[in-house]
Amino acid sequence: MPTLLGKRKRRAVASNNTEAEDLAAAQMAQEIFQRHFEAQFKPLAIPKIPESAPIEDDEDSKEEEELEWDGISEEEEGVKVVEHTDAYARMAAMSKQQLKAFMTSKPPTNKPSTPIIRDDVGGKIDADDVSEAANLKKDLALQRLISESHLLDSSSHTLSGKNRHKALDMRIQALGSKGSILRQEKMPMSHRKGIEAKKKSDEEKRRNEAKENGVILERATGTKTGKVKKELSRKRDRGVGAPGIGQFKGGTLKLSKRDIFEVEGPKRSAGKNGRGGRGGGRGGRGRGRG
Amino acid sequence: MSAPDPKFLSFTSQKSLTARLILSTLTGKPIRVSQIRSTSTTPGLAPHEVSFLRLLDSITNGSRATFSHTGTMFHYEPGLIMGSIDGQGAIGEVTDCSLPNTITRGVSWFLTPLCILAPFAKKPVNVRFSGEGVITGATECGDVSVDTVRTAILPLYEKFGISTAKLEIRVLQRSCAGPGGKGGGGVVELKFGSQVRLPKTLHLHRSPGRVRRIRGVAYCTGVSSSNNHRMIHVARGILNPLVADVHIATQYDQAPLVSSGDKNSKSGKKTTGIGFGISLVAESSVDGVLYSADVASPSRGGVTSEDIGKQCAYQLLEVISQGGCVTKVGTETVLVLMAMGSEDVGRLRLGRDVVGTEDAIGLARDLQKFGASSWGLRDVDEDDSGDIIVTVKGIAVGNVARKIA
Repeated sequence: MPTLLGKRKRRAVASNNTEAEDLAAAQMAQEIFQRHFEAQFKPLAIPKIPESAPIEDDEDSKEEEELEWDGISEEEEGVKVVEHTDAYARMAAMSKQQLKAFMTSKPPTNKPSTPIIRDDVGGKIDADDVSEAANLKKDLALQRLISESHLLDSSSHTLSGKNRHKALDMRIQALGSKGSILRQEKMPMSHRKGIEAKKKSDEEKRRNEAKENGVILERATGTKTGKVKKELSRKRDRGVGAPGIGQFKGGTLKLSKRDIFEVEGPKRSAGKNGRGGRGGGRGGRGRGRG
Repeated sequence: MSAPDPKFLSFTSQKSLTARLILSTLTGKPIRVSQIRSTSTTPGLAPHEVSFLRLLDSITNGSRATFSHTGTMFHYEPGLIMGSIDGQGAIGEVTDCSLPNTITRGVSWFLTPLCILAPFAKKPVNVRFSGEGVITGATECGDVSVDTVRTAILPLYEKFGISTAKLEIRVLQRSCAGPGGKGGGGVVELKFGSQVRLPKTLHLHRSPGRVRRIRGVAYCTGVSSSNNHRMIHVARGILNPLVADVHIATQYDQAPLVSSGDKNSKSGKKTTGIGFGISLVAESSVDGVLYSADVASPSRGGVTSEDIGKQCAYQLLEVISQGGCVTKVGTETVLVLMAMGSEDVGRLRLGRDVVGTEDAIGLARDLQKFGASSWGLRDVDEDDSGDIIVTVKGIAVGNVARKIA
């Protein structure tokens, strides 16, 4: 045990005394390596490292630090607050809507803008109202706004004049009207012909131009191919409440044989299933005709 | 020199020339103005005055102006105010007014009197100011910017029953005053589409209320757009502690190009009208009461944008301190419309410093000379603001083209 103790003591002493020697030895080794390396390859361009001072005790370094750094003077006790706000960037500019209202070419108006959502009688719908009825009204108003928004112009938020009539027409058509109320029904024939001809020539011109320029347009409907006409004749619109069959003329509904046949359907021929001769002949005749 | 024709009303000097010309046109009384800059080294009418006469000629029918040889005297016989009609000085229902590059006044000097005439025209008045003399910004002569005309003067028309929905001032190209304060390269379109039979009179004799919000436009042409922000920053710094609602829009434009005037290259262009400025408008809690201020950088330069912003904010505060319901900028418009309007007595509350200017008193004298009834002035006794209530009786000149038989 004593020997061990002695050894330990000696080693401890040695480590204390020869720190600098160890450092020198390490540098020597480095040098040897470097020489060996440079013998084989090119000499290295090593930046000169300033001689590092041997590390001193903690207490000493603390004292040194306090001596060197004199950033905070003794009078300043509190924390110094430096506020940097980029005032220019954060400038409360006008909102886009405000800017639009103010920077138009028109003199700015300070009237509150009228709400777009209105119910049928023109009254405002309260925004906070959550009742079912109010929601339905809002739905309707929104639907109308979406479908008629193209008619609204920038000057007013309500429909007026010609646009109001257009919107009304659209609503009537959406409810199932056959034609537009704006279409002029009666007109001198020459006018009508002129209008039709003009329409046709415009369309032709458009198509020709598109063709010349290599633009592909939608498929031509109506007039040229007559497809639409065929379709129309195949399924005639009979209107609401009118009989779905026959021809109503002069207060009487006339049913052709064909109509009757279509209602009755093909006769199960008596002869075949042996149901007796009742109507068999007729059935046969009908079949013959069909 | 022969004795002046008795049918002409005689005036001297070039002061308030536009007011006299429009009053002459409205009342249909010919005028004779003499001694125009007769003692100056550049005697006679200045380029902007000639341009204004030309403009009057193009929107009226049958007006005639004859000048003396030196230009120090002229006769003006007014015609009917027609507006912009094709074939009578207008193309495509737009009258073109080209201003030469020697003009030192801002385009607002033309716009304000033109707007007073416009409600009495037969057809809408659409005038396009172009050419090398259009300065849209404020000038050192004291002309306001186009933005102030739009945001502070045009709204006054609403009170007279003239719908502002059809009024438009479109600034297609901004420009500050060019080198030496002369010329610019701006393009401005005025559309005045509301013509009335007879403007209603005005009753603005109550308290002008308190300033509720401040709006404005900071503009710069041909200089860094950071100037806008610098002006706004300083102006807001002054105004924000007083009113919370301060919003100023920014407008940046490239410098306008005008022909360089170089003999060798005809197509050569040069930039002009470089500068920046700010226009502020304070809106009161009372409907229709507006205070405005306008400052622009001088054409020689050397002023920082911070100074311009500060100056404008202080100018606005000064205008507000003068009180009244209409400021100096708007008095001519309001008082002339009241005098020409319906045969009622209108009342207008004005600040003492606004009434006491040469312009206002001169306008009263001119109106009297043209046959309008004289003003009544009395102090406001409701409060100790020291304002004056001006009562003006209209003479119902109205719109000749819209007379109902």
